Amino acid sequence: MVAKQPHLKASSEDAEEQLLVEAAQKDPSRFGELYVNNFERVYAFIARRVGNRDEAQDLTSDVFHRALENLPRFEWRGVPFSAWLFRIATNAITDRFKRAAQEPSTLDDSSGENSARDFEEFDHHARLFRLVEKLPEDQRRVVEMRFAEGKSIREIAGELGRTEGAVKQLQFRGLQTLRENQGQSPKLRRSLK
Amino acid sequence: MARRSLIEQLDDAVETILAHPDAPLPLVNPRITPLIRVAAGLRSLPHAGFKAHLKSELERRTMMSSAVKSAATIQHAVTPYLVVRNAARAIDFYKRAFGASESMRLTDPGGRIGHAEIVIGNSPILLSDEYPEFDAISPETLGGSPVKVHLYVDDVDALAKRAIDAGATVVRPVEDQFYGDRSGQFADPFGYIWILSTRKEVVSSAEMQRRFDALMTQPESKKSAASPIPEGYHTLTPYLVVQDAPALIEFVKQTFSAEQTLRTTGSAGGVHAEVRIAGSRLMIGGGSPEHSWRGESRPAALHVFVKDTDAVYQRALEAGAVSLQAPVDRGFGERVGGVKDPLGNHWYIATGLGKSHVPEGLRTVTPFLHPLRAEPVINFLRRAFGAQEIVKHASPDGVVHHAKIKIGDSVLEMSEAREPYQPMSSTFFLNVPDVDAAYRHALAAGAISIAEPADQPYGDRTGGVKDPFGNQWYIATHIKNVTP
Repeated sequence: MVAKQPHLKASSEDAEEQLLVEAAQKDPSRFGELYVNNFERVYAFIARRVGNRDEAQDLTSDVFHRALENLPRFEWRGVPFSAWLFRIATNAITDRFKRAAQEPSTLDDSSGENSARDFEEFDHHARLFRLVEKLPEDQRRVVEMRFAEGKSIREIAGELGRTEGAVKQLQFRGLQTLRENQGQSPKLRRSLK
Repeated sequence: MARRSLIEQLDDAVETILAHPDAPLPLVNPRITPLIRVAAGLRSLPHAGFKAHLKSELERRTMMSSAVKSAATIQHAVTPYLVVRNAARAIDFYKRAFGASESMRLTDPGGRIGHAEIVIGNSPILLSDEYPEFDAISPETLGGSPVKVHLYVDDVDALAKRAIDAGATVVRPVEDQFYGDRSGQFADPFGYIWILSTRKEVVSSAEMQRRFDALMTQPESKKSAASPIPEGYHTLTPYLVVQDAPALIEFVKQTFSAEQTLRTTGSAGGVHAEVRIAGSRLMIGGGSPEHSWRGESRPAALHVFVKDTDAVYQRALEAGAVSLQAPVDRGFGERVGGVKDPLGNHWYIATGLGKSHVPEGLRTVTPFLHPLRAEPVINFLRRAFGAQEIVKHASPDGVVHHAKIKIGDSVLEMSEAREPYQPMSSTFFLNVPDVDAAYRHALAAGAISIAEPADQPYGDRTGGVKDPFGNQWYIATHIKNVTP
């Protein structure tokens, strides 16, 4: 059970999240804040389980739509909201694979449960994704085109009107900046907001 | 050079990671190992636009939720304030049509709603009843509203259906639009038009302009197979609806030597007849001693040009009419007398004092309106049917004594009401090139629907509306010739 997993949350953060959840339960237009706070985690969770980017996007979309729909039924039991989202994600992935008539065994056997280590990992990824948004513009473009869009150095050079050497250098600097920013606050896995 | 080679080494490693996501991380120069770990974490980096896209998708969806939030706590920069003739009914309608929630209302001792707040999606809307004493006037009084309310929703088709079920009428059906929205326009029962949209595609303004240009230069859409106005008809034909149609037909025969060209049973089970007075057609309908038709009389006022006013005026009285005004020469170039026939229609019997007894630009019969105020009616006719004002004579106090309005090839006259010339709820038959467009424009201008346009077995496509002043307009486009 997810509920039994130890989780490292400061109680003030719990309280803050609880308030957000309650606000969104009363007024679904407040759901956007929960979405913004959890998008990266959920995406990272799903991307680790499905290799294909389109599928990861579909599933992420599916999860948040389901979450919005079922929000009135969410009960606060001291478990982070993301745990609930991960459970929805797990179900969504299972449904997807069932629909594709594949063996459920293609799934991770840990699919139903998520260890504290998993939470750490998804938070780590989520934080990294956030850091990309904060990169200097030219580094960010290169990192996004390279990793999110899967483009080659040559394609990127062509699109940005730069030499391949310059693009490789921006890639290097971008990864370096990310590494440095990660290093600045390696334990701040809760500072996603 | 060493730094450049590190850059190259890093790229080689990134290439490997991207090509073989499941393989262990490549062994590299320890100086770039931390960067390779970062790169590995980025393999599942989401597409930059995806997060924002999904966010707006979710937001659109939550807009339709009915959760209550006090309008006072939502502070958007701009908030519409709708004045309506019956705010309580309007609030109820907006709840049923758009899922609005009411957050407050203030009722005055007389029962009027002085102020109310509702929330639709994430937006507050303020509204109140009419308070003419505070310049709060509703579209129903003004004859339409120039301001439309735009509502973005996640499923425009579903909402349109809901709005129609609640009592909205279609002004423009839901369609994919060149600017990337799927949208339609709907008139609520209180005179406001709502544009309901779902964003389907984000279109840059340059692309939008390109599509708009292409749309504007498209050849005119298919012409109808027949001339839109049947042979012998004009744009505007008055339709006199009375309790005893045969009696009225008899009256016009006697008085104006009218010729009956058609007499049949109408769709409502009463008489439908057409008569001709010189070159002008009139439609006459309603009940008769033999018909069980039970409807409301809709008399009209008509300006009829004859060769000899005095003689015709006399014949009218002999046929049972009462005098409104004995014939006199009037300053505007005609001799005119007025009568009211036994069925309630006004006939202004006139002889032009110029070269011809029919003044230039007019026909033998010209319909006449006596609105309380001419301006809103003219505005309505302009917006609904593309009418043009030809002349308008107003006295310094603003009273419009005479106006001529052209609709298509026909003229409609009006003078503001004064004893004994009071507003009548008249009926007109209007032949137009595009009934659907005229119908839509009429609703947008504040009319309410009587009948949506539909093809008729006799070769016309017809619809009907009631304007904000009580007149009914049957609108028709002749689409094919039907041999009887």
